[in-house]
Amino acid sequence: MTRILLLEPDKLLANTYLKALQAAGYEVDVCHAAQSAIHSADKVKPDIVIVELQLVSHSGIEFLYEFRSYADWQDVPIIILTNVPVNEFVSCEQLLMNEMNVKLYLYKPHTSLRKLLQSINELTSANVAA
Amino acid sequence: MAQSISDGHPALKQQLLLSVVEQLKLPLMNIARFAELANIQSGSVDLNSIYVTADATLQLLDSYILGVQLAGQEAELFEIEPVSVSSVLYDTGHQLEPVAKEYGVQLDLRIDGKYGPVMAHRRGLQAALVSLGYSLVEALPAMEAPQLRLELSAHRCRYGIVAGLYCETEQLTTQALRLGRQLYGRARQPLGEISHTSGAGIFVADAILQGMKSQLTVSHHRKMHGLGAVLPLNPQLQFI
Repeated sequence: MTRILLLEPDKLLANTYLKALQAAGYEVDVCHAAQSAIHSADKVKPDIVIVELQLVSHSGIEFLYEFRSYADWQDVPIIILTNVPVNEFVSCEQLLMNEMNVKLYLYKPHTSLRKLLQSINELTSANVAA
Repeated sequence: MAQSISDGHPALKQQLLLSVVEQLKLPLMNIARFAELANIQSGSVDLNSIYVTADATLQLLDSYILGVQLAGQEAELFEIEPVSVSSVLYDTGHQLEPVAKEYGVQLDLRIDGKYGPVMAHRRGLQAALVSLGYSLVEALPAMEAPQLRLELSAHRCRYGIVAGLYCETEQLTTQALRLGRQLYGRARQPLGEISHTSGAGIFVADAILQGMKSQLTVSHHRKMHGLGAVLPLNPQLQFI
């Protein structure tokens, strides 16, 4: 079973994503803050990580830097699911896509549950094919 | 006097609207995804969550409007009266309870001692405290090592009475609020140490309190950290 680590600060939204992902057959671990997500990743060894960039105290970018600093997690696919529109991130796009090896950047308000599930499906299928 | 969002250039006032608009995305997303989840699972919609989320959002909008009106000093709205702080805190707790329950935050009302009435704009004071409360309830679970307890409380200070909301998180500091006021209108997440959102509830409360000639302040009380309204004591009212 594919294990997903979801880093989403809003508790209600996180619960909704949790239910949708579990219903789709994924094993999901939810964290609301960056440091607890690092601890959680250490325990659950996720196959995919979904990250919001706007967190309390630490940003999602800080989380990504720390996450990618561990050798074991260099190749874990990352999806950004955020309230920050991509046009505000143009200057950092190269950083995210190349240096952080982010697979997808999804603008949360425009991303339905179906679209999210479809994106995860495509990502897992591509990983299996590779 | 601290810099406030209702000071200065009109563009700065517009930032309050932008902050509220940005904040609205979260409850609207929640409602949309609740409905979509019910559709995907062919189950019943979580109606209570939708009611609570929508009600909280409507109250934020009303508070925003009140803040703008008070800043404009609309005379008929700006009527101060003797207000019981305990009663305002009680009503605030009542309003916050449903949303606190949704976020798993325990809400306690603790009023030690007797506080005489203060001269204030009752509706404004309550709207400010409710706006603060929503912001904190939403933010608490998102903090590192969260303490999911919020206390509505009042205490005396050098300038009068502080009525506010307190929690055990250490991120609620004067520096965080000062930085938020400086970044307000410039950053997407001006209160990065306190909230993952635009922090509109806190800035709306700030606007309302400024409109009431009061002040939003970071306060410490019984080893807890909080945000509250400073309410000056009126010596004549202390005899009531």
